[in-house]
Amino acid sequence: MRLLPLFGIARRHLLHSPFRTALSITGVAIGDCFMVLMSALMAGFETKFVDETVESSPHVTMLDEFRDPPDEFAGWLSDQEGGLVAVESAHPRERVYRIKKPYETLAAIEERPGVAAAALNVVGTSILNFGNREVGAALVGIDPERQDRVVSTDTYMIEGRLADLHSASGAIVLGSGLAERLGVRRGDTIGASLRGSGEAGGREGSTRALRVVGVFKTGLVPVDAVRAYTLVSLAQQLLGLGRDVNRIVVRLDDHTTAQDVAADLEAMVGYRSESWQEQNQNFLSLFNIQTVITYVVTSGITIVAAFGILNVLIMLVLEKLPEIAMLKSMGYTAADVTVVFMLEGLAIGALGVVFGSIGGYWLQQLLASFPIPMKGLIEIEHLIFVDPPRIYAVAALVSFASTVIAACLPALRAGRLDPVVTLRGRA
Amino acid sequence: METRALRRTLGSGENALEILHGLDVVIQPGEFCSIMGPSGSGKSTLMYLLGALDRPTGGQVLIDGIDTKALSEAALADVRNRKIGFVFQFHYLMPEFTAEENVALPMRKLGLARRPALERARELLGLLGLAGKEGRLPGRLSGGEQQRVAIARSLANRPLVVLGDEPTGNLDTKNGELVFALFERLVREQGQTIVVVTHDPRLAARTDRVVRLQDGKVVDDGPARAVLARAGERS
Repeated sequence: MRLLPLFGIARRHLLHSPFRTALSITGVAIGDCFMVLMSALMAGFETKFVDETVESSPHVTMLDEFRDPPDEFAGWLSDQEGGLVAVESAHPRERVYRIKKPYETLAAIEERPGVAAAALNVVGTSILNFGNREVGAALVGIDPERQDRVVSTDTYMIEGRLADLHSASGAIVLGSGLAERLGVRRGDTIGASLRGSGEAGGREGSTRALRVVGVFKTGLVPVDAVRAYTLVSLAQQLLGLGRDVNRIVVRLDDHTTAQDVAADLEAMVGYRSESWQEQNQNFLSLFNIQTVITYVVTSGITIVAAFGILNVLIMLVLEKLPEIAMLKSMGYTAADVTVVFMLEGLAIGALGVVFGSIGGYWLQQLLASFPIPMKGLIEIEHLIFVDPPRIYAVAALVSFASTVIAACLPALRAGRLDPVVTLRGRA
Repeated sequence: METRALRRTLGSGENALEILHGLDVVIQPGEFCSIMGPSGSGKSTLMYLLGALDRPTGGQVLIDGIDTKALSEAALADVRNRKIGFVFQFHYLMPEFTAEENVALPMRKLGLARRPALERARELLGLLGLAGKEGRLPGRLSGGEQQRVAIARSLANRPLVVLGDEPTGNLDTKNGELVFALFERLVREQGQTIVVVTHDPRLAARTDRVVRLQDGKVVDDGPARAVLARAGERS
């Protein structure tokens, strides 16, 4: 088969009807463009979320609990068959959890290869109040210097510094959302309810005055809305934990290894250790679902465009019936004729993908330049797009493949046309 | 070119319609032959079979000694490309190609490069009185000129035979005469074998031989004047 003359015929067919050809190319380009745009937008949100998470949260968090807690005796008893005892409405025993030998554990963790830094935390919930406003907060007791090596909180400070926690005996740093809900700024004094349990707990129901020495904003709305930092000793006092520590937070050299490292640490120490992926698995699976939905919707656009091409090529074949018959009478084979129409489909697909990719890139730049503030899972000032080559490649593949498949039917039909039937019909 | 006991049936079973009933026709090299007959007599079917566009239901079509029935689709297409030139009632020129590009199409299929193909195309168009119009699209040519381009295209690969299926059927008298004059010239000057289907006895009279078909059978075959005279006496 000599392809050059077939290229020539396909090219002339396309150029002879520029409007029809442009329409087909536009159809493919729109599908490709929106697939690139939506994929880049989804990737942008996901990347922003992951980046903020791995920067503002520990890569691995060791908790003061076990993944498979020991069975309660009452529960075990009620599960036994053939016994004489039935236990109903059994409540789990109240148990003060803590990480035993925290400093030894911390040292062991820091020695593990791949661990960049680790810090002890005291974590619990506390009610903060300012005037008549009361807001629940996730209180995190930290050593500011150690903590900053694990979580880059200092870079997210919008008022004050993390080290300012040392500046007063009751200093607290609030997330921006939390500060907003309380209506406080740096320098204000707020109250924190004391919890009475624990060896060195305060008086139940009393409050402790705290001075707001800083405000941070990670951009992760769920974090900024509830998290507050104090020194470890203050958190222990507020949460009624005595001198216990209930978290060890870890930063890794490579955050992508968090799941493996968490599993290793859990095997090594026994305490439940969660990677940042596990802690955020709900959001990450939401992103996965969104990505699938994006691809389904944009593939739908591409398929609609492919049907457009199918229509255009069927019309072209019907219009060219006499010419196809003539080509065959000149000695062009069925395969030659099929190739001509396939080449037309390929050209439409290829040009559509090129223009679609350019359009997708250009639209990203355009939309990213408009201020579109949004506050949801993350807080942004404008749309974020991330467009690795993979996004363009997938969109191109889907668009091109659907175009080629759409071109197959009319091309094969053109090839199979019996010239005698056409010529008899025209005679 | 020869047919032996050539039969062609369209459809099958109860709907089968036998178009040709065992035709034996021999076309000699350099012959200018016309095929005549009423509508439905099988003229066009015979042309498609002679031109390897269709396959016989029975019997044989021999083109340059090759039995077309035994050939694959690709081999049949190659026979059409090398040995047959078609001219139909409608010119079937590619509207997107210029006159010379249309003429070059069979040569390009044969494997000739674009430049020599276009040179020969210009040569043929010049021979047929279309010098200076090689670069025009078919839409910018008159009906007669379009049909002359189609004739040039049929001659492109120096075929064994040119088959014309009512090539003047869509032309006015003047252009019809012109096309037939061209055919005569090609036969007399270049020894080209030409077989044409025509309804027009005046044009048929200008050919060497007339084969008359009726109901799929040859009812008369001989020198044009004699066959036409016998046909005149019968009517």
